[in-house]
Order: sequence, then structure tokens, then C-alpha cells
Amino acid sequence: MEDKKNYSGPLMIALQYNDLFDLDSTSTSTNTDVLPKGRAFTFIKAVQAVNERLVEQNKTESLLFEVILIAKECSEEIKMKIVESVKHYGLEIGKFFFYKKEELINTLQSNKVKLFLSTERDDVYEALHTGIPAALLYDQADDHVLNRLKVIFSGDVIGFSEDSLDSLSDFGFSETQIQTFKAAKICMKEFAVLIGQMRGRFGKENSPLCTCVLTSWGSRNVCASALKTLREWGVDVDEAFCLAGAPCSPILAVVKPHILWDGGLHNMRDLSTQCQ
Amino acid sequence: MSKPEGTERGGQSNSDNSEEKDWAAVKALFDNAKTTKKPRPPKPSNAVTIAVSSRTLFNMVTERKVFEEEGLERYVAHQLELEDQPFTPGVSFPFVKALMNVNARLRELYPDSEELFDIVLVTNNHAQVGVRLINSINYYDLTIERFCMTGGESPVGYLKAYMTNLYLSKDSKKVQEAIEEGIAAATMFTCDSENELSDTQLRVAFDGDAVLFSDESEIIVKEHGLDTFFRHEKEFENKPLAKGPLKCFLEALGKLQRKFYAKNQRISCPIRTYLVTARSAASAGARVLKTLRSWGLEVDEALFLAGAPKGPLLQKIRPHIFFDDQMFHIEGAQELGTIAAHVPYGIGQKYHKGKRIDASEAEKK
Repeated sequence: MEDKKNYSGPLMIALQYNDLFDLDSTSTSTNTDVLPKGRAFTFIKAVQAVNERLVEQNKTESLLFEVILIAKECSEEIKMKIVESVKHYGLEIGKFFFYKKEELINTLQSNKVKLFLSTERDDVYEALHTGIPAALLYDQADDHVLNRLKVIFSGDVIGFSEDSLDSLSDFGFSETQIQTFKAAKICMKEFAVLIGQMRGRFGKENSPLCTCVLTSWGSRNVCASALKTLREWGVDVDEAFCLAGAPCSPILAVVKPHILWDGGLHNMRDLSTQCQ
Repeated sequence: MSKPEGTERGGQSNSDNSEEKDWAAVKALFDNAKTTKKPRPPKPSNAVTIAVSSRTLFNMVTERKVFEEEGLERYVAHQLELEDQPFTPGVSFPFVKALMNVNARLRELYPDSEELFDIVLVTNNHAQVGVRLINSINYYDLTIERFCMTGGESPVGYLKAYMTNLYLSKDSKKVQEAIEEGIAAATMFTCDSENELSDTQLRVAFDGDAVLFSDESEIIVKEHGLDTFFRHEKEFENKPLAKGPLKCFLEALGKLQRKFYAKNQRISCPIRTYLVTARSAASAGARVLKTLRSWGLEVDEALFLAGAPKGPLLQKIRPHIFFDDQMFHIEGAQELGTIAAHVPYGIGQKYHKGKRIDASEAEKK
């Protein structure tokens, strides 16, 4: 995998339609062709704000976000509603893809998606496992600030070097789990390099894009190592959090990220049962 | 597509069960790690969490000057240049070391307990400065495993998220915000001369009114004078005062103290608390002691000064930290080498040396 210095071309992010629109609460009143807003709404608005600022600074800027919408095969009626709703809310969606259930991974791969975002942890995990960069779309509260896009990288994954990732077996991780860590790290790097370039277009203050590192179980040295590694990849991280096992959700509720790279914590759930 | 309840969705607050699983997993991880000899950080809900800012933990006076005179970009660049140079200790450093010592003693007596001090670094510094901060923490071998570098955002939301019991910062605005959110907090200042402090016993001194107790009685003094105050306190001797911003912290200290008493270690308890009040024992002291008793709290020593200056007495006590709501007392303590922290709460903020300040002056920026 080469480093792409000064990569030009869109940073493509794939969203699932049921994250962008709320399909569960479809009202029975059918005179509306517009679907209600879903969990990904604040994300897409924040992305559009970043693009606006990038273009403001440089009219010919090519490193912009491009969001594509993917949806499982569905009725023509739903397809229409999706397209109409996107238009209605003024969302900048580059492309629409409708795929059969088993083809999610293929669809993502063939479209050279730089990031697959979903609120379904298992979908994210499956994608990462096959080498597709994937992260959690954090569920935003409604009152969230819309004009700042926040990305959290996992300090746990990035902070371990190649060699020390192998030593995770000492902690009780299985070979498969370690492979997933390694795959995740590679995906994170590719994405980080691009985000770093984008972030670099703005100063430390008043940036529409904010990068963070969250170390949920690694030590403070793992966190420091993650900060330095990200620096090497071209990302001068803005915010850093080191939890040493403290519960994540209260902190995340304050940070309010949009994109959350997984720290492999769900890998560890099995650990506590393994070591008895 | 939608999954059954119990499955995780990105970002939605995890059910308690899910967080218990995460905690169990992290515990297993730490217990497995053969390489590390460091003790495992306690679960936040069981611990007494002390949040310190970077400028109170370390001396960052020269760097701060760069920030104020040359701006953020230059400041961060400056910190990066000095990244491998550890900071020198700051004003809350002795307090932190004393907390670590108490933890060591607690772990000896209760190896599996999580009722310990948990020290967290909460700063609105930029994460790039974090590397130098972590290097410094390593240099002094401090047990600080949790931190929050907010890159310019207010740290107050994080204080709640970490279940903070006490917050120390040099920025009085943040301290005020914290107090308004119900978190015990105090502003610290650079101290030029420092007395030698005990390295076996944590000593914490508190003022009474508007620190442990509300400012209700102080209002009477300021607005109606001492005589009215004495009469009032005698009349209401048996009515407990309302609590003040640091009451919960005293409570947390008391809980840890009792763990030593339970193991017959009252004499050698590594935590000692002091009440240092301008009240006099005869006329206004009883109410204070009765209030503490009604709360089920104790202080090891209650010192009634009847208006005498606090400085000389504190110099003898040598606390690792002294909390007071009036700058007049803070300054008096500092002049004689005591580390004093200001609690910006109550009517005392509108007065200086007994005179009422103009309302606009009283509001600190």
C-alpha cells in the first residue's frame, strides 16, 4: 500500500440508507414522499460543511468528501422515496447503489470506497475483516453542533507497533482477533493519511474538521505512541482521550464524534470468559 | 436489518450490562498482562476521582507566556520542540504524590478493593502537547493513566463523565463552571516558597463557611455585622448549616479514612483532615461541629481562630492543600509557604478585605 502524497480525488464514504433515513417510524400518512431524518443526518451536514470550507479556500480543491448511498434491494416505491428525500433535504449524494443482501462487501470493494460507515457494529466488523475500511457512525443526539466533523481514531489499534500487535497473544487474544487488529490498522492508516491532508488545509482553531484519538484500554504509553504514529501519517491530532478501561459512553457523549474507529473492545468480551 | 435489543449500535449509550462486560474484559486484560507491574486503574464509580489540569500538575509558566504572547500555533510548536524535556513539578504535584502514597497503603490493606484515588489529567491543551505531558508523567512515575486533552474545548463536560470528586485548575473560570455544575473545585496559584511536606501522610485543610458549609452565615456577617452573626449562630446552634461545595470531598476522604480505622490503623492513618475557620469556638463553633456530626462526618482537627490570621497556623500544619473561599486568606497562607486553593463560591467573592467590591469587578473573566 503506497502513501499517496497529495492525493487528489474524492474521499468516498458509503452510508446505508437506513442510517440516513429513519425507516422504523414510517408514518402511515402516505401523502408524503419524504422519509424522516435518520441517525446519519448530522454527519452528512457536517461533511457538507467541510466541503464548503474546502472549496472556499481553494475553488479547484479536489480532495473533497463524496457520500454514496447504498441500499439493499428494495421496492421501486422505496427507491423513489429515497431519491426524492435526498433531493428534498438538499443532500449531496454522489451515487446510489442497490445491492442484493450477500453482495454488500463486493459493492463496497468495487466502488473503491475509502470508508464504510454504519451504526451496525457487526457490519463494520465484517467489512474490516475483509480489508474494507469501516468505522462506526456514532449516533448523534439531536442538539449536536452541525458544522464540525469529528473523527475518532483508535489509540489501541494504532498505538501498538507491528511487533507488539503479535504480543497481544500474551493478553489472551486469539490469532483471528490479532489479524483483525492488523487489518484494521492498515485501513485506519489509509483513511488517516487522507484526513490528515484535509485537516492540514485548516489552522488549529476554527476548523470544520476535528481529529481525535481515543485509547480505551491501552496504557498511556500506547496513547503516546498512537499520537506519534498519527503524526508520522500526517495527522496532528486535536483531541486525545485515554480511558484505561473507564466506560466509553459517558466520554463519547461529551465528545460527540461522527466517525468512530473501533478499538477492538468487542474482541475482548470473550477474554473474560476464556480466562477462568 | 434491525437487530434485537441487546445488540450494540454504534454510539448509543450501552446498557449497563454491556458496560459491565467491557469492564470485565479490561480487567481480564490487565490481569493477563505479564509484562506490566503497574496496578490496574480502579473502576471510576468506586474510586475517588481527582482531576488535575496540566498547569497545576506541572510548571508551565514559560510555555504559558509563549501562548499568551505569540498565539496557539507558536505555543504548540514550542512544546513540540521541548517534547523530550520533562516539565518541572507544579503546584498540585505534592498533593498528587500524597494521593499516590495513600493508594499504596490502601492496596496493602485491601488488595482487591477499587476504593482508591484515581488521578485524571483534564486539560484543554491541544493533544500534540500530550506527548510531552505523557513523557513527564513517565519521568516522575506518576500513576496517571486516564486523561482528557480537549484541544480547546471546555473540560467541564468531561469532569462529569469521569465522575470527578475534585477538580483543580489554574483557570478560575473553569473552576467556577465546575462548581456551578455541582463538582467540588478550586483554583490553584503558583507558589513561590513551599514548606516541606509530609511524604507519609496526606493533609487536607478546609475553611468552614462557603467551603464545607454554605455561605448563609457569612452573608449575615457581611450584611449585618459580627454581633448579629454571633447571636444568630447561638440561636440556630442545633440547626445544621447547608452544605458547601467541598463537603462531598471531605466525605470521600472520610470514607477512605474509615478503611484504615477498620484495620486498626487510626494512629498511622495516611490521611488527616483539618478545619481552619475564622469562627471562634465559644460563640459560633458549636454549630459547625454539630453540623458535621449531623452529616456523619469528622475532621481530625478543628481549629477556631476567632479572626486571627490563618497563615502561621497553616505553616505549622503543612497541608498538601488548603481550601478557602476568600482571597485574603489564600494570600495570607501563601505568604507563609502554604499551597492554597481558592473556592470561588458565595458572598465572599463580592468582598475584598472586608470591603464590598463593585459587582463588575467581582465577576472574574
